[in-house]
Order: sequence, then C-alpha cells, then structure tokens
Amino acid sequence: MTAPAPLRVAVLSFAHTHALSYVHALRMMPGVELIAADPDGAAAPDQAPRGAELAAELDVDYVDSYDDAFAWGPDAVVIAAENSRHRALVERAAGAGVHVLCEKPLATTVEDAVAMREACERAGVVLMVAYPVRFAPAFRDALAQLRSGRLGRVLGVTGINNGKLPQDRAWFTDPELAGGGALVDHVVHCADLLDELLGERAETVRAVSNRFLHAERDLAVETGGLVTVRYPSGVVATIDCSWSWPMSSATWGGLTLQIVAERGTITVSPFAKGVAGHDARGETWAPVGADLDALLLAEFVAAVREGRAPQPDGAVGVRTVEIVTAALASAAQDGAVVPLP
Amino acid sequence: MSDALPHQGTGRAGTDPSAGARASAGTGASAGPFAGTSAGTDPSRAEGLRVGLVGAGGISRVHADAWRALGATGFVTSVQGAEAIASEYGFAAVPDVDALLDLVDVVDIVTPSSTHADLALRAIAKGRHVVCEKPLAATAAEAARVARAAAAAGVRLFPAHVVRYFGEYKAIKDAIDAGRIGTVAVQRFSRAGSAPRTPWFFSESAGGGVVRDLMIHDIDQAVWFAGPVASVYAVQNPPTVDDRVPAPVTAHVVLTHRSGVISHLHASWVAEGMPFRTSVEVSGSEGRVRHDSAEENVLRTDAVLSEGSTDYLPPMSPQESPYYAEIADFVAALRTGGELRVSPADGIEAVAIAEAAYASIAAGAPVALPAPGEPLIAPATAVSPAAVTPATVSAVSAAEAEEAAR
Repeated sequence: MTAPAPLRVAVLSFAHTHALSYVHALRMMPGVELIAADPDGAAAPDQAPRGAELAAELDVDYVDSYDDAFAWGPDAVVIAAENSRHRALVERAAGAGVHVLCEKPLATTVEDAVAMREACERAGVVLMVAYPVRFAPAFRDALAQLRSGRLGRVLGVTGINNGKLPQDRAWFTDPELAGGGALVDHVVHCADLLDELLGERAETVRAVSNRFLHAERDLAVETGGLVTVRYPSGVVATIDCSWSWPMSSATWGGLTLQIVAERGTITVSPFAKGVAGHDARGETWAPVGADLDALLLAEFVAAVREGRAPQPDGAVGVRTVEIVTAALASAAQDGAVVPLP
Repeated sequence: MSDALPHQGTGRAGTDPSAGARASAGTGASAGPFAGTSAGTDPSRAEGLRVGLVGAGGISRVHADAWRALGATGFVTSVQGAEAIASEYGFAAVPDVDALLDLVDVVDIVTPSSTHADLALRAIAKGRHVVCEKPLAATAAEAARVARAAAAAGVRLFPAHVVRYFGEYKAIKDAIDAGRIGTVAVQRFSRAGSAPRTPWFFSESAGGGVVRDLMIHDIDQAVWFAGPVASVYAVQNPPTVDDRVPAPVTAHVVLTHRSGVISHLHASWVAEGMPFRTSVEVSGSEGRVRHDSAEENVLRTDAVLSEGSTDYLPPMSPQESPYYAEIADFVAALRTGGELRVSPADGIEAVAIAEAAYASIAAGAPVALPAPGEPLIAPATAVSPAAVTPATVSAVSAAEAEEAAR
C-alpha cells in the first residue's frame, strides 16, 4: 500500500491565535507538508511573538512573504489573517487554484463574503470556514437527539459565547481590521451552530450592545452584546456574545447552547469537559476531550484529498456574516429590528 | 394562585374565590394586628396576627405553611379547596371574601392573576393589609390603582416577588451592591419547567401568559439588579393566537436598562412533568456571579426506590424557605413599620415591563418605556411588524408608580 501523495499546506498569517493550534494539528497529520508566512506580523502593535520567531517556536518552516508562500506551490492554504484581510488572500488563493480554509468570520461585510464564495466556486476550489465547535462530539450528540425527533420541535435557543477579552492580539478590538468587537468575535460560532441545527436562514436580527466591560481600556468597539434572531420556522434565538469573563478566569471562556424543544431542553457546553482545581494562584482548569481544531483540519484535509465539498462551507460563512452585519446595524440603530434581504 | 412556583412545576388548579366554599367561618371581631400578644424578641413572629388566604391552589399551601410556621391565626376562602387547606394547616375555612375580610388583619391573595386587583382593592377598602402573589395586577394601570388605594388607606401592600428571597439571588444582589463585580454590564436569566394545567394561565386577557406569569420573576430580578428599564424587545414561539397561549411555549426578552445595562430573559413552559430549572448570570467590569439550579449539590439522593415510594414531601426549612422569608419580612415590616424588600412600585414596574413585552411581541419591534416623570406616550399600534424604529407603549410612568407607592 502506498502512502497518499504529500499535501502541501501553507498557513497564511499568525494574526489569529487559532493559527497556532492549526499549525499544531497540521504537523500531527501524516502526509502534510507545511509552511507558514506572517508578513504583517512585524507591524502588529501588540507585543505577541509573530513571524519567523513564532514559526520557530511552533517548529514550522517559514517564508517571509505571501508571494513566497504561493510560489512554493501549496495545494491548500489556511488563512488566519485579520478579518478584513481575509478577502484578498482568499481571492488570491482561488486565482491560484488553491483550496482554502478561512478563519471565522469569513469577512467583515456580506459583499466581501459573497465575493469570496463566488471566487472559490468559479475556481473550483474548496472554501471551508473555521467553525470547529460544530465538530464537538457533545454538539453532534445534541443534534442527533433533536433530529431523532424524541424531544419534538425546537422552539428556541439561547447561545452563550462568553470569554475573556482577546487582548493577545490588538486587532481584535480594531474596528477596521476586526469589523467590530464582541458582536463580530463571538456571535458567529453560535450562529454557525444554529445554522447547522435549524437548517434555515435567519429572517430578522436585533441587537443591543454596550462597552461597560473593559471600559478602562477605552476600546473603540463593543464589549457586551445580546443578539436576538428569528427564523422562518418561528424559532427564536438569543446570543450573548459578551467578553464577560474576567481576565482572572482559569480558562479563555466557553460556549453553551440551551435548546428548548417541545418535550425537553438540551444544554450543550463542549468546553465544559475538564478538571477543575486550585493552585497557589487560584482556580485552575484543565480541558479534556476532543481537539476540535484537529477535527476541523482533518475534515478540511480529507475533503481536499477526496475532491469533495466539506462543511462548514462558504455558504454558511456568508449566512453567518449576514447575521453579524445585521447585528452591528441593529445595535447602531438603537436596537431596531433588521430584516435580512 | 397556583402558578408555577419559581422552584418547581405546578399542576394544581387555581380557584375562583368569588363564590363561597361551604365551611364554618371563624368568628371574633377584628382588632389591630398582633392583638392580645406581647411583641416578642423576634419581630417576624406572627402570633396574634389574623391572616386570610384567598385562593386554595398550589401557591396557597406554600403561603399557608409559612403563616402557620410564624404562628399566625389563619383563615381561608376559595370556590373550592378551602376546607382542605383549613384542615391541613389548622386554618378556619370561611364562606366568602366578605366574611373573610371581617375576620382578619391581613389578606393574602393567592388567586388567578386577573382577580388580584379587584380583591386587593376590596381588602384595602376594608382597611386590611395585603400580601399579593405576583403579578400585582393584570395591567400596570390596575397595579398603580391598587398601590394608590393602599397608600391612601395607610395599609401595607406587598407584591410577593419571592425570588428576591431566594438566597442565591439575594447574594447576587449583595455582590452587585457591594461593588464586587464592578459596573454591571450584561445579565442573563432563564426559567423553564412544566407547563401549568389550569386554563387561565393560557389566556393573556385573563392575566396568563409565559411572560406575565413565569418570566415576571426574572423581570423583577433584572430591575432589582440593574435598575429601571428604557426599552423592551420580546419574541415568543409559537405565537399567541386569538388570546390562546400555546404550550409548550418559549419567550425571550431583552431589556435595555436606563443605566445602559442589557439583560436577556428566557422563560419556557415545556411539556407537563418537565423538571424546573432556573439560572442567572450577572457580568460586570470587575467580575461575574452566577447560579444554576441544575448545579445545586447540597442534597442529592442516588437510590433504587420501590414503586409507590414517590409521595415523600420534604420538610419546610424556615431557615432556607424563600416563602417563609418573604412572609416573615412582611410580618416584621408590619410590626416595625420598616421597609419591605419589594415595594408596591416594584410590583407595578414588573407588570409594566411584562405589558411592554407583549406590546413588543405584537409590534415585532422594541418598545420604549416612559422615563420617570414623562407623561404617558401614545401606544404602539401604528408600528408595523417590519418597523425598524423602536416603538413606544403606553404604560404607567415610573414617576406615577413611585408616587402611588408612597
């Protein structure tokens, strides 16, 4: 039996900290050749290690520019740039016939997201969006329970994606580069899970936000938000996207869906599996369970190898960006209800 | 009133107190509270206090248990079930409300919500102090009328928002007031359990509905923690059609407080028999506090039980029962003239927000509540479901509520 042909994957940018776990997961995969490029790292205003220094820490081959990365002839790229810089890289990859896994959110505007999906469709390359939570075994279990029908119809969902302020990277709170604050960073994961759970596009979005959390940092973006989404089937959902875990928390945060169906409720918290304790500095948390980023990367690599379309795809990437941009518009209009066109 | 208790499901019927139960009335002339007793060291003891329960549903028993534990002399009237309450708790059953009013110092209204205001006004007209199960009335205007009447008559009016007496919620309130979580930013509340059985819960015009009956507990908490509300956005699935509230049903409400705090409230009546669960989380600039009833570990029984052994009733703990605590707070306030943890204005505000939530559901848009001191604003009827601007609803202004409460 022969080993599969090596798959060449380039990680483009270390702007999003998820790039670190993607590199780690890809390094573990047999038959994957890996390089990374992080040309904008040196210009980042924060102190986090970037570029060649971080690549050396992660033990991954490094090239200085995106030109060099594409010249290397990758089969696929993993894009972890700042949100508003996704489009240029995705379009470049599509133009080069290279498959794409793009960090969430796909883009900061619906126009960008649609253009990216169309570019990949035209080029016949995979466009997958990095929504790892839907790969969580607990979420798959919840889906299977609901799809079996034993709990009846879903009536409503509360999605909670709270966490610490992502302060390691300054661009997360830059309105231009991120597209917004907590409404952008923490609505999309729940929106993706709702998309998978309900199988329908949102009808209206309504959001309110404030900036009381981390107010002393005088950030230019919202740090707390509540987004209410209505679906054509009647399902109502609210997402709490606030960066509301104090910086002293033992872990980054978490995600919980509370699903109310006719005959029962399901509460699913994929990141709640672990061991809690205390050390000399306070509470500790050691997560346990499936590596969701590894599952996400495994699906991407398998889809590229097998020439099939993976999920979550560019279409759900667009639908979730629609919800985020409608939420931003609603919050900017004092909580007006925004219908999706 | 037999509504869903904040900590458990419900099944027992609320009863209409307007007709008399066949029962022997207690006798004795009415005198001031605590007649014939010397005030002991504990001001919440109720020996000598004559209390009349109106209504004999599920919540009636919980109140009766607390009154009995505090040493009050109890009377009860109801269309049905009064005798059972009387014999279980050592009360005297009374044929009708008028007879009850002649016998007691305090009237405890535990009837279906639509009857609260009328019964409260009758009790106040007779100079009786009133404990009223939530909601204080079906509408904010009625609630304000009751509060004004109580103020004019110089009697105490206690909207029994019992969740303020649940230890965990009080601890969260204390943490906020002490500044332990800094500036409050975002709050979340959830409350879900078995759908009730009694028909009036499913008629919004009769004071029912999942927001007005169940979520109102958390509406009161949200205001207690974060202050007055500027706007309300509410959604419900499935919708109420022709005044018929569906079951199962779920509702979400997002409040924007005048302080800028935002609150999410979820309430659901799921299938009958569904275990009850509540949760709360409040996040502020310096920290967060939370409680989830599903994570309570104080007592857990893992056992293999024989059939027929399911009729165990847990003993009421005066130290931990929030129902005992609310009645004890009322008795102490009556005795000392001190403040209660829930004021009439609080009762009015909770009803006003619930009303605004229903207006929001009907309009498909957020609804603004009048600011303190602002006059009443035109109702939201002109707002189309697709409206993209916040609507305004007619409600009793906070100023009026405040005034009425004094």
